Amino acid sequence: MIFRRLVRYVQPHWRVFLFAFILLFIATMIEIGLPLGISYYIDHFLLPKHWIIREVLLFCAIYFGCQVLSALLLYKQEIRFQKIAQSIIRRMRIEVFSKVQQLSLAYFDRTPTGSMITRITNDTESIRDLYVSVLASLLQNSIFIIGVLVGLFILDPGWALTSLVLFPLFYMLIATYRKVSRPIFQKMRSKLSQLNTHLNETLQGMSVIQVFSQEARLYEQFRGLNQDHFQLRIKGIQADALLLRPATDFLWILVLIVILQFFGWQAIHAEIKIGVLYGFINLINRVFEPLQQIVTQLPRYQESIVSAERVFQLLDQQDLAPQQLGNDKISIDKGLVEFRNVSFAYSNGELVLDEVSFCIEPGQTVGLVGHTGSGKSTIVQLLLRFYEPTSGEILLEGKPLARFSEQELRTKIGLVLQDSVLFHGSVRSNIGLDHPSITDQQIINAAQLVQADPFIRRLPNGYDQIITDGGTTLSSGEKQLLAFARTMALMPKILVLDEATAHIDTETEELIQQAMIKMRKDRTTFIIAHRLSTIRDADQILVLDRGRIVERGTHKTLVNQGGIYAQMDQMQNGIVVG
Amino acid sequence: MKIFLDLWWFFRLEKKRYIIGIVMLITVTLLELFVPYVIRIIVDHGTAKTLTAGILLKWTLLVFISGILVYGCRYVWRVQLFGAAHRLGQLLRDRFYQHLTKQSPTFYQRHRIGKLMAHGTNDIQAVTYTAGDGVMVIVDGLIGGIMIISTMVFFIDWKLTLLAMLPMPIMAWTASYYGKLLHHRFKKAQEAFEDMTEDVQQNISSVRMIKAFGKQDSELSQFKKRMNQIVSTNLSAARIDALYDPTIFIITGVSFLISIGFGSWFVLQGKITIGQLTQFTFYIGDLIWPMLALGWLFNIIERGRASYGRLQKLLQDEEPIIQVSQPIKQLPSGEVKIYIPRFTYPNSNLVALQKLDLNIFPRQTIGLVGRTGSGKTTLLRLLLREFELTEGQIRLSEIDHRHIALKTLRVAFGYVPQEHMLFSTTIAENIAFGYPAATPEEIEQAARDAQVHDDILQFAQGYQTVVGERGVTLSGGQKQRISIARAILLKPEILILDDALSAVDAKTEQQIIQMIRQKRQDQTTIIVAHRLSAVEHADQIWVFEQGEVIDSGTHRELAKKSGWYQQTLLRQQTLTEGLEGRR
Repeated sequence: MIFRRLVRYVQPHWRVFLFAFILLFIATMIEIGLPLGISYYIDHFLLPKHWIIREVLLFCAIYFGCQVLSALLLYKQEIRFQKIAQSIIRRMRIEVFSKVQQLSLAYFDRTPTGSMITRITNDTESIRDLYVSVLASLLQNSIFIIGVLVGLFILDPGWALTSLVLFPLFYMLIATYRKVSRPIFQKMRSKLSQLNTHLNETLQGMSVIQVFSQEARLYEQFRGLNQDHFQLRIKGIQADALLLRPATDFLWILVLIVILQFFGWQAIHAEIKIGVLYGFINLINRVFEPLQQIVTQLPRYQESIVSAERVFQLLDQQDLAPQQLGNDKISIDKGLVEFRNVSFAYSNGELVLDEVSFCIEPGQTVGLVGHTGSGKSTIVQLLLRFYEPTSGEILLEGKPLARFSEQELRTKIGLVLQDSVLFHGSVRSNIGLDHPSITDQQIINAAQLVQADPFIRRLPNGYDQIITDGGTTLSSGEKQLLAFARTMALMPKILVLDEATAHIDTETEELIQQAMIKMRKDRTTFIIAHRLSTIRDADQILVLDRGRIVERGTHKTLVNQGGIYAQMDQMQNGIVVG
Repeated sequence: MKIFLDLWWFFRLEKKRYIIGIVMLITVTLLELFVPYVIRIIVDHGTAKTLTAGILLKWTLLVFISGILVYGCRYVWRVQLFGAAHRLGQLLRDRFYQHLTKQSPTFYQRHRIGKLMAHGTNDIQAVTYTAGDGVMVIVDGLIGGIMIISTMVFFIDWKLTLLAMLPMPIMAWTASYYGKLLHHRFKKAQEAFEDMTEDVQQNISSVRMIKAFGKQDSELSQFKKRMNQIVSTNLSAARIDALYDPTIFIITGVSFLISIGFGSWFVLQGKITIGQLTQFTFYIGDLIWPMLALGWLFNIIERGRASYGRLQKLLQDEEPIIQVSQPIKQLPSGEVKIYIPRFTYPNSNLVALQKLDLNIFPRQTIGLVGRTGSGKTTLLRLLLREFELTEGQIRLSEIDHRHIALKTLRVAFGYVPQEHMLFSTTIAENIAFGYPAATPEEIEQAARDAQVHDDILQFAQGYQTVVGERGVTLSGGQKQRISIARAILLKPEILILDDALSAVDAKTEQQIIQMIRQKRQDQTTIIVAHRLSAVEHADQIWVFEQGEVIDSGTHRELAKKSGWYQQTLLRQQTLTEGLEGRR
C-alpha cells in the first residue's frame, strides 16, 4: 500500500524514468557481454593458439570501447535517477510543509513539535534514500542479476541451472538477518535518540543543573544510556558480521566449489572449457555484488517504509484548520463582534466555554478577566478562528465568522501574545514580517505609534539591527514593544492583547499603556489581563469563571456590584496600598 | 596520518581488540589469496589432462576449509575493530558530557547549544569512523595490497604485474580526489538540510503567530526556495558520487585488458601457464578494493582529524569555576556581605555593577527592584558564582565565598530562575530535581507551598504526568510555580526568586509570598520583582539603577521618599486607582 503510493510519485517522471531505464539496460547488457567476450577469446584465440596481432588488437579496441560506453551510460542513468528522486522528495516535502500550515491548532496542541519537524525533514530524507539508493539500486541490481543469469545460460545451461540454488540460499540468509537485526537496530536507534535528547536537555538546562548540583547524577544517567547504546551497537555489529558480508562471501565460496566440481568432472571426462569456467566464475562473482547490495539496503528499506508511513499519515491528517465557507469577499471595516451562545470543548471533552454571549460595538474596548483556565484565551482563539466553536455562533460585522477569508481575518485582527516570538532577522523584518505590501514608512510609523522607535534608533544598527535567536539582546519589554509594532504595522480593525503586558517592567509598561491608548483608537480592542489596572477604562469588562461569563459591566458598575470583580480589585489594590 | 598518532592512547587502551582484529584481517587477506591459486591448479591440471577425482576433491575441500576460516576471521575482526571504535565513541561522549557539566556560563556564551550538539553527534561519529573503518582501510589498503602484489610478483610474473598495475595508482588518486570534492559538496548539502531544519523548526514553534499574521503563504514560498537549494546542492554531490563506479569500471577494464593481452603473449611464449593467467586476472579483481581503500584513507583521515581536532579544542576550552585548594565545606548561614566596587562581564566593556556595599542579615527577606538591565540578575549570578568577581568580594558568614566549596555554596542557595526550565520527565521528578531522594509527601508539600498542587492534581496522571516535548504542555505560571516548588523543597539557607512570580496571578502571588513569610522565617530570601507588591513585605528593598543601588530601605521608608520607588509605587497605584476614595 505504502509502496504503491511511493511508486505513484514516480509517475509524473515516467519519460525520464524510461530513458534512464533504457540507458541502464544497455549499460548492463554491455557489462555482462564483456566477460562473455573474454570467455570467447580464451576458448577461440588463446587455447587454439590462434593468435593474430591484428585480430587481438581489434578485440581489445572493441572491448575497451564498449567499456567506456557502458561507463558513460551508467553515469548518465545514475544522474537521471538522482534527479527524479530529488524532485520527488522536493514535491513531497512541499506537500507536507503546506499540509502542516493548514492543520488546526488542536492538532498542534496534541503533537509535539519535535515529531512534526522530524516528519518534514528527517523522515523525508529517509524516503529520499529509498528512491536514490533502494529503488534505483534495486532496479539496477535486478536487471543486472537477470542479465547475469542470461549470460550464464549462454555459457552453459547445465551449470546455470545448478547455480540457481544460490537464490533460495540467499533469500534464507536475508530473511534470517532481517529477523535478527530488526529489533536490535530499533532499540539502538531509540537509545541513540534518548542519548541525544538527554544531551540537548542538559545543555538547555545547564544553569539549573549546576545551581542544583545535579551534574553527577545526570552524568550517571547519561553514562548509563551511553553504555546501553554501546552494548546494542556491539549486538548490531555481531548480527551484521554473522549474517551480512562474511556470510554472503561464504556462500560465494560454496558456489565456487560447486562450479569447480562441475568443471573438474567435465575436464576429466570430456574436453575442457577454460573460457567457460572463467566466464562463469566471473559472472557469478558479479552477481554477488548486487545481491550484497540488496541485502545491505534492506535495513534502509525498512526504515524508509516506516518513515514513509509516518509522512503519509501526516499528509492524510484530516484535522484541518477551519476553512472559509463560500467565496464571499466580505471585509472587516467596522469591527463589530458578537458571540451568541458560544460553547467550546477540547477533543478530550473538557468544556472550556459554556454558552458565552456578548456583543462589542465598533471601537469599543473590552476587558476579559478571570483566573487561569477560566476561558479568556479561548474566546480570543475562537475569534481568530484558530478553533471552531463546538456550538453557538460568532458574528463579525453581523456575518458568520466562517464566511470571512482567512486573509481578511489575519490582516484585520491583530494579536499580541504574552510571549512574543522574535525571528532571527532585522528589526525591520520582525516588524514588517517581510510582507510585500508593508512599506518602510509603515514600519517606522508602527514603531512610532507603539513608542518603540526611540529604543530602536538607539540600537547600533537601528532598524537593520539583527536580532539573534529568541531576541536575547533585547529586554523583555523591548521585545514586547516590537511585537506591538508588528501587529500595528498591519493596521488591524480589531486588536487582541492576550496578557500582552505580563512580562514587562514598570517603565516599559507605562510606555505601553500610553501606546495602547493610541492603538485602541478607532479599533475594537480585546484585552486579557491578570492585572485589572490594564482594563480599568474598558467600555465593557467580562468576568469569566469556568467558561461562563459571571459578571459584566464597566469597572465602576462592577466595583459597585461587589462581586468577584470587586473582590479581585480590592485585593490587587490592597496589595499596593497595604 | 597524524590522527592515528593522536588516537594512539586509545589504541593502547584497547590494544587487545586492535591486535586481534588486525591479525584476523591479515589472515583473511592471506586466505583469500588461496582461492585463485586453487583455480589455477585445477585449470592447469585440466589443460594438461592430469586432473583426477582425487585432486579435484582434495583442492575443493581445501577451498571449503579456507572458506570456513575466512568466515570465522571476518566475524572476529569486525566485532573486534568496530567494537573498539564504538568504545571510543562511548568514551568520547562520556568525556564530552562531563566536560560540559563543569563549564560556567562564560563557556556557554562562547559556544552555542546547536553547535555543541553537532560536536556531540557528528564529530564523535566521524572519529568513531576513523578508529574503526580507518584502521580497517589502512590494513586492507596497505598490507592487503602489498600481499596481493607480492603474490603476483613472486608466484606469477613480475613484468606482467608491473604492466597490469600501471593504471591502478590512477584509481587511488581519483578515489581520493573524488572523495575530497564529494566531502565538500556533501557538506554543502548537509548545510542546506540544516538550514531547512531550522526553518521548519521556527515555523512550527511559532505556528500561532504565523497563523495570526496569515503568513502561511510566504512561509511556504520561502520553504520552496530552500527546497531548490537542497535539490541543487544534493545534485551537485550526486554528480561526483556517480563518478565512482564508472571510473573504477574503466580503470580496472584497462588493467584487465593489459593482463589478458600481455598475459596471452606470455602464455604463448610459455613463460606462464593458462592457469597462472587465470589466477592473475582474479588477483587484478581483488586489487580494486585495496586501491579504493587507499584513496578513501586520505579522506577518512582528513575528516577524522578535523573532527578530533574540534573535539580536542572544545575539551581543552575550559571556563570552569575555579576552586581553591582547600575549600570550606561548612554550610554558611544566611548572612551575606556584598562589596563590589565594579563588575563587568567577561568580553564586555559595559559596567554591569558598581559601588555596591550591601549587607544581608540572617533571616531577612530582601527585595530587589529596578528597571530591566539595572543589574539585579547580575548580582544574583555573582552570588551563585556563575561568574567570577573581578573586584571586591562577597562574604557568606564572614567567609569569602570563593573559599567555600562550590557544592556547599550551591546547597546553601535555592534558585528559581527567570526563564523556567523543566526537564522532560514527571512533575514529581522535576520538583525533586535537586533532591531525588525526596518522599512523595515532601514533594507534595513543596507543591502545595508553591500553590501548584491543585493544578497538578488536574492532570490525569497527577504527579506522574510527564512534561515537555513528549508530555503535557504547562502554562508559564505552572512552570514558574513548579520551579518554585523545586527550589523550596531543598529548604535552602538562601532562597532566590528571580522575577519568578511574573506569570502568576495576583492572588497566587500573594499566597506564595504569604507561604514564604511563614515557612521561611528562619532563613534568608531574596526576591527580584517588577511588581512592588511582591517585595513590600521585605526587610530591605534595594533599588537598582545602572548597576548601582540608588536607594534602599523598607517599603514604608521608600514609599515616603521621593524617588524611583515612590514614582513606581504611585504609577502602579494610579494604574490600579485607590479603592478608598470611591468607597
